Amino acid sequence: MFGRKKKDDVSETEETFPALASVSPRTHVRVRGQVFKLRTRPRQGMPALEVTLVDESGSVTVVWSGRRSIGGVGLGRRIIIEGVPAQGPRGLTFTNPSYELL
Amino acid sequence: MRIVIAGAGSVGAYMAEELAKLGHAIILLDNDAAAASRAESIPGVTFVLGDACDADVLAAAGVGEADVVSAVTGDDEDNLVVSLLSKQEFGVPRVVARVNNPKNEWMFNDMWGVDVSVSTPHLLTALVEEAVTVGSFVHLLNFEHGKAGLCEVTLAEGSPAIGQRIGALAWPREASAVAIIRDGHVMPPDGEFVLLARDEVLVLARSEAEDAVRAVLIGS
Repeated sequence: MFGRKKKDDVSETEETFPALASVSPRTHVRVRGQVFKLRTRPRQGMPALEVTLVDESGSVTVVWSGRRSIGGVGLGRRIIIEGVPAQGPRGLTFTNPSYELL
Repeated sequence: MRIVIAGAGSVGAYMAEELAKLGHAIILLDNDAAAASRAESIPGVTFVLGDACDADVLAAAGVGEADVVSAVTGDDEDNLVVSLLSKQEFGVPRVVARVNNPKNEWMFNDMWGVDVSVSTPHLLTALVEEAVTVGSFVHLLNFEHGKAGLCEVTLAEGSPAIGQRIGALAWPREASAVAIIRDGHVMPPDGEFVLLARDEVLVLARSEAEDAVRAVLIGS
């Protein structure tokens, strides 16, 4: 659920990713993007890290609940996330997806 | 609409029956075989036996295609897990969860995937308060994760709004009178409508506008 993958499969076999703008809600996807915005958004004492991920086509929002920061996830960092997005108030939002640092 | 209900107790079974009558496709989930035999007598409801806190069971019940998931078991932990899984693993657009113990209500928010929470003790308290109080501000329902709410004020004798036209009151932004109840009749909040003592005024307002609504209807 709160899974985290090690970057053991970075064998440089050029993996292709769908454009962020083409991702539709409620489908399991694996996408790549760059961290454009980071903010902590505590909700009644529970921390949450909200990240805006961008590529050339558009952006998605990623929320990791229960934490204020994730080691390696900094501004400008390229990451891969995998999960099921939902249509939220801030656009397409992934909740606690698994991620890989690039 | 396709609606998955987790928990086939009295609340879940009732909801399933009523929503099926309204023409929705209902899937009822429970891990209790006794609940299955009760649920089978409900027409138009598909019963799935299994633990709703298990993502595989949710997938098998078709949560991936559900428009709404409602977690109404008698256990708050289970309701939170069902809500989180529905949002996180299946991207369900609307998750409605039942709060059993009002002490847990603070957790039923978007961090746990809950879009709307319903707390029976809270609702009962609000309704009793609404029934017995005059001249005070009563919260009836919350929307948008508590950012907006439906509120009620029964105008007391000294209210500054008495004798005023609704349109002439200094309503704040982000607040709107939605109905007036007078002698048991519901009146639309026409701008020319003149308010009287004992009128029940229903107002939909964002939380930051509530103080201004109080000032308009109750005075300071």
